[in-house]
Amino acid sequence: MVMSEKSANRVTNIFKAKEFGLFMILVVLSILIGIRNPIFFSFHNIIDIFRNTSYTLIIAVGMTFVLVAKGLDLSVGSMIAICGMVCALFLSWGYPIFFCILTGLLTGAAFGAINALCIVVFHIPSMIATLGCMYMARGLVLVVTKGAPVYPLPKEFVNLGTRTFFGVPFIVVLSFIICLVAHFVLNNTTYGRRIYAIGGNIETAKYAGINVAGTTASVYIISGVLAALSGIMTSARMGSGQPSVGDGTEMTVITAVIIGGTSLNGGVGTILGTALGALLTNVLSTGMNLVGISAYWQKFVTGLIIIVAVGIDQYQRRKVRS
Amino acid sequence: MTIVLEIKNVSKKFGPVTVFSHVNLSVEKGQIVALVGENGAGKSTLLNILGGVYPAGTYEGSIWIEGEEKRFRGEKDSKRAGIEMIHQEISIHLDLSVAENIFLGNLSNRKGFVSWKQVYLDAQNYLDIVKLNVDPHETARNLSTSQHQLLSIAKALASHPKILLFDEPTSALTEADAANLLEIIKGLQKRQITCLYISHRLEEVIHLADRIIVLRDGMLISDKPKNEITINQVIRDMVGRALDEMYPKQQITVGDEVLRVEGITVAHPYIAGKNIVEDISFSVSAGEILGVSGLVGSGRTETMDAIFGCSKRKSGKIYIQGAEVHIVRPSDAMKAGIGLVTEDRKRSGIIPTMSLRENMTIADLQAVSRMGLIQKNQERQLSQTYYDKLQIRATGIEDNILHLSGGNQQKVVLSKWLLKDIKVLILDEPTRGVDVGAKVEIYNVITDLARRGLAIVMVSSELTELMGMCDRLLVFSRGKIRGDFPRQEATQEKVMSAATCVDDLM
Ligand SMILES: Nc1ncnc2c1ncn2[C@@H]1O[C@H](COP(=O)(O)OP(=O)(O)OP(=O)(O)O)[C@@H](O)[C@H]1O
Ligand SMILES: [Mg+2]
Repeated sequence: MVMSEKSANRVTNIFKAKEFGLFMILVVLSILIGIRNPIFFSFHNIIDIFRNTSYTLIIAVGMTFVLVAKGLDLSVGSMIAICGMVCALFLSWGYPIFFCILTGLLTGAAFGAINALCIVVFHIPSMIATLGCMYMARGLVLVVTKGAPVYPLPKEFVNLGTRTFFGVPFIVVLSFIICLVAHFVLNNTTYGRRIYAIGGNIETAKYAGINVAGTTASVYIISGVLAALSGIMTSARMGSGQPSVGDGTEMTVITAVIIGGTSLNGGVGTILGTALGALLTNVLSTGMNLVGISAYWQKFVTGLIIIVAVGIDQYQRRKVRS
Repeated sequence: MTIVLEIKNVSKKFGPVTVFSHVNLSVEKGQIVALVGENGAGKSTLLNILGGVYPAGTYEGSIWIEGEEKRFRGEKDSKRAGIEMIHQEISIHLDLSVAENIFLGNLSNRKGFVSWKQVYLDAQNYLDIVKLNVDPHETARNLSTSQHQLLSIAKALASHPKILLFDEPTSALTEADAANLLEIIKGLQKRQITCLYISHRLEEVIHLADRIIVLRDGMLISDKPKNEITINQVIRDMVGRALDEMYPKQQITVGDEVLRVEGITVAHPYIAGKNIVEDISFSVSAGEILGVSGLVGSGRTETMDAIFGCSKRKSGKIYIQGAEVHIVRPSDAMKAGIGLVTEDRKRSGIIPTMSLRENMTIADLQAVSRMGLIQKNQERQLSQTYYDKLQIRATGIEDNILHLSGGNQQKVVLSKWLLKDIKVLILDEPTRGVDVGAKVEIYNVITDLARRGLAIVMVSSELTELMGMCDRLLVFSRGKIRGDFPRQEATQEKVMSAATCVDDLM
């Protein structure tokens, strides 16, 4: 009796959840695009959308951590480039693949740590600190490579980018696993709870004995490592380390996360929402191409959607309050 | 007498939950009407309807001002009709000047230009009415809590209201400051301003109001002129039964010393070279309840923050059960077995994005987790236990904390520390904004903790509460301890004179 009530509750909760609305929008949008251009529903296109989404999503997961803790990380786009580059450089010097990937990831962690240092120790606002980091990392890439791509890369490495499991690309599997882990961490661990607490009210968190500095620092490191992973995988996919890769990606990522319902005011956000947000932005841009909307209008539409999504969110928040 | 305000058959629901139904009320010009009731009875909600916070259409029934039906679409409409509301959580812009705060929103302008000279002159006028002795140019940040309260009244007066709505104006004030505020409200009556006002301090209500209205179980239970009612009757109407005893003080044999602090000194946060707290030493033993009294700004809160590791000590040592502990951050204090219920629940007590459950367990995640994994069932059970024990009024432990009335939020904040295994509990204003019935619950909980051998430090602005509950009373003034009275010797006069004591050297 109690059990059935509970599960009935769970069912109604699914419909009430914000993610459900997002999911419905995704479905409707896909159908509309599919009607205009049936290619949209081809296996090839669907796999492509998932693959493209995955590169964004991996970074968006880190960004969700950061935004939930009421921070912001603008450096992820440059991080893609510098970490992909570091990995590619070591590969081109003949180091073992595993070692090179690790070096790339550590580079991401290091830049995340620099962000964290600026924010936690020197109290620089996260937007400014990560903006600085964004330029520094991009600058370093250009200094080291003088603007030229790094290639060729070993075949085994490039295979990572093209490899599939039963038709599903490796990167999709990887991002799925990362989402599962991140969802679990945010929902079921004390660490996750602390991140929400800090974003919700940093003063209360402090008085509750939470290590605010350490926890805040950790989310930037997570964001850095995940951006690095996405960057390394991008190098593998392209078969080279490209100095200009990831330019502007931070905005795509933040858009996806915010559309997914994560609040810029901190303390609110889910990985499921982020995943749907990332998928939605990708479906939209692919769809606009397939339907034949010009690239210029695409930018306009993306901007419009950000404003509408955040507007709706703010409106709902105010309604909850009164 | 002319009727200025009429509430006809008003009912209010939040979703499926009815807060109150069929409330009728008519108020004469210049009357002071007190609104009392338990936490969550709907007092703030009623005033919010009058203040336009909940617009017409979100409630049933009608509001009439001076014989005219009003349908407010928002707070602006309500202001235009001559209603000003002073909210439970005061909103002063800390970085603006006093005068700017007063005229915020209605700066006297000519073709879009502000005449600052006129603004400061007018501001002085309103400051005089509320007897607030500060320079209109002063930044609001430098004012005390009670001065903020007076400032928000001055601000309300600046738009020449007919009706003033006060939501717990005195709950953050000491008794002396509160008395001053009440005088000012009385003075407004002479200006033919009608006041509706909510308070949990019943002595004050009986003293001030012309009429006392009690809300309970979603109804207006009683509505009586003050000379026809006693405090006990009000309490009976509020909680539906008589309270046998306000202060369930028990004789507990005091055990060994648990907390001792020696020579705590804290630098002033804004003024260089000055100390806000100087050379504070005291000790508390197991089973003892130590009261800390003093005016707001006397350094009580800063001392407690310093002990808890939330603000930096310049000097001073802290001992737990005779052994020195090194506390530089709150987690050190918690590890040493100290808990702190902070004074300002909105700023540092609640997490507005979280449910009751999450708020309750946030200070003790270890208790509901294993190897860093939250045990959801255990968490639910534990928070449910305290939810029931403190009789928190909400739709359940999964409710968002912002949906709760002020007093119920306070209970959630308190329960946060009750689930923890601690040796010393510091309570800074534990019953602020809590109704009489719930106050007794909280006193019971505190007594219970003391009996279990905890050492309790209780900071409060309500002297009666301290005298009713504490074994010993410290009086703070200007950052120093000015009095230390055992229970038998603590009298109102002694404490007040110690609290207002002027530093000999100054
Ligand atoms: N936005 C909201 N959504 C849902 N329920 C709400 C909301 N605001 C208030 N409530 C509920 O309405 C009831 C009345 O709340 P209200 O704030 O008016 O109480 P109150 O009498 O002012 O209590 P207190 O003395 O504690 O301030 C409470 O049970 C509260 O949980
Ligand atoms: Mg209230």
